[in-house]
Amino acid sequence: MRTGNRVRCALVVGTAAVLATACATSSGTGGSGGEGLPGTVKIMSIKEMTGPVAFAGTHSTRGIDLAVEQINQRKFLGDTKLEIDLHDSAASVQEAASFATQAVSDQSYSAILGPAASSQAAAVSPIADKAKIPVIYTQAGSDGVLVGDYTYRVTAPASSYFHHAGEYLKSKGAKTAAVLYNSGNPTLAELGQETVPQLAKKYGFTVSSSDGVQLTAQDFTNAGAKIARAKPDAVFVLLQGPQNPAAITQLKQNGYSGEIVGMTSMGAGNLKPAGQQAKGTVWPSDFSPHAEVPSVQEFVKAYQAKYNGELPNNYAAEAYDAAWFLARGIKEAGSADRTAIQQGLATVAKQGFEGAEGKLRFEGNDLRVEGVLAGWDGSGEILVSREAS
Amino acid sequence: MAQNLLNALTLGSLYLLFALGMSLAWGTIGILNFAHGSIFMFAAFTGHLLVGQVALPLPLVLLIGTAVGAALSVLAQVLAFEPIQRRARDHRRAELQILVGGIGIATIPLAIAQHATKSVPFGFTGSTFQVEVYRLGPVQLTNVQLVILGAAAVLTGVLAWWLRSARTGLALRSIGVDAEVATMMGVNRRGLAVATMAVAGALAGIAGVLLTYYLGSIAAESGDGFLIKAFAAIVLGGIGSIGGAVAGAMILALAETVVLTQTSGMWVDAVSFGLIFAVLVLRPRGLFGRKEVRRT
Repeated sequence: MRTGNRVRCALVVGTAAVLATACATSSGTGGSGGEGLPGTVKIMSIKEMTGPVAFAGTHSTRGIDLAVEQINQRKFLGDTKLEIDLHDSAASVQEAASFATQAVSDQSYSAILGPAASSQAAAVSPIADKAKIPVIYTQAGSDGVLVGDYTYRVTAPASSYFHHAGEYLKSKGAKTAAVLYNSGNPTLAELGQETVPQLAKKYGFTVSSSDGVQLTAQDFTNAGAKIARAKPDAVFVLLQGPQNPAAITQLKQNGYSGEIVGMTSMGAGNLKPAGQQAKGTVWPSDFSPHAEVPSVQEFVKAYQAKYNGELPNNYAAEAYDAAWFLARGIKEAGSADRTAIQQGLATVAKQGFEGAEGKLRFEGNDLRVEGVLAGWDGSGEILVSREAS
Repeated sequence: MAQNLLNALTLGSLYLLFALGMSLAWGTIGILNFAHGSIFMFAAFTGHLLVGQVALPLPLVLLIGTAVGAALSVLAQVLAFEPIQRRARDHRRAELQILVGGIGIATIPLAIAQHATKSVPFGFTGSTFQVEVYRLGPVQLTNVQLVILGAAAVLTGVLAWWLRSARTGLALRSIGVDAEVATMMGVNRRGLAVATMAVAGALAGIAGVLLTYYLGSIAAESGDGFLIKAFAAIVLGGIGSIGGAVAGAMILALAETVVLTQTSGMWVDAVSFGLIFAVLVLRPRGLFGRKEVRRT
């Protein structure tokens, strides 16, 4: 009986130990990749592949695909493969939150690459942070996205590199500037209401007028006419992607001939419909494919080789860096465990690294980059050189 | 002041071109087509695709937009609205199902355009038409504005004449008053319904193309915003009334312009729609809505 009890006891303890081990290493699937990593580390990517911000989601996914291909081909994680499970949030907050909940409950997912829209990210963050699964965003610039240790953002806030615009206007001798901003978008409203007035103080120009427009405004005739009549030396056009060409066209048609300064929403081909009308428009950006930084050019060449010579935009570059950030975090952790990966990401964030956006460093869980001044020459995007500015 | 008035007139004309078709179909054959915004956008999108291949002048792009708008609207009528009307138990149920059906139909052109453009704005950069700016004292006017103002005036006039004086127009109005009696009097309801939807779609197509020329570009989602504005203009003016559509569109555009030029642009919708709400509280049928005309 006693012997039987011992056997039973040993069986129970053994089973418990096996279960505990299984639970501890439940993130990730497949065989061992060595040093605590499984054969495959599965990541959920929640991106806007359709809907009004599909341009961000599709380009982000291209950046991620390139990074994952390189990570796996270069055996960056040894024999362990990174596997991306892409889900289209269709720009829906509910869909994004639902996918995040799915990732939390399915232990095979080790981390999440989050959506670009702030509204979706703000819904995903509390779910992910509470369940302790790391989530890395690109874009998603509003408050309420970085809510704890498990939430990271690999897009630097525009305000952190907007000094390029101030330096540019100073070099052009601008003394007055008007501001036209989208009041329904938190990032753009912050730029218009806070960042530009701060720049004005620092770089010696005055804000002659500041007008907010609605989130979905389409007609800028009156705003354009009002600004053109006041003839400021510069105008800050801080609008959403599709609004930019219409606003610039209306400004030009109303006879405005001064400097036009925008933000990254002018990239990704959004100024193409404005064509020559938008010539000379500049915007501070976290990325330019023309920047002569070795790590940037390495990314650009790889991207062009994979995507038939197409130049990458900021969405692709940010997502590429996000995927590499995650891979570095996993390598640092040496495990597919969610908590270990978060600790790995924290270590990588402290060290920083070179990526598609140049030299990357973090302030807490938020990225900072040097930034560049990009521009539009009438047919394509250019890098505005320091001499020119 | 004069410049603001001109800009308001231009915006009002665009709202009017869009709203006329919606109002016509709603007030006569009882179809409140919520796919109207998608049809408006898709007509411009088709023009954009063709202009990308061949440099076309404005009249030809307008013609393409008109044809695409009419074709899509007729397709919606034949494939969706007509079967709904045939099967619905009563008129009220049919109207509700048509409304929901229209929302569903709207997602198809929207999804196609979003997929093709990745929601990046599109325009007619390949068109041979060049925007010219004329300065008349303190006022400046573009050739696109002239076309918009002219198109709105002529098409509204023609439509008003047709409904008041032409035999088919009178027959169409009789459907709006009493469809059963109109049928007994020999009115071809089906044929007129298809023709009405073709006219409504054509007007949406014209509005889409002209808006794209006016703004320089639109996005796949641009139709949604216009749909709400046009709906508001129709309700404000009085459903089914051409004069009401004109008044509703112009009041809405004027209110938006005043708010935009005198205060911050973020109050545009709040003030404009607040004004509409106030009018409707005092006059529930809208400014030109008449009691004797059903659904108007």
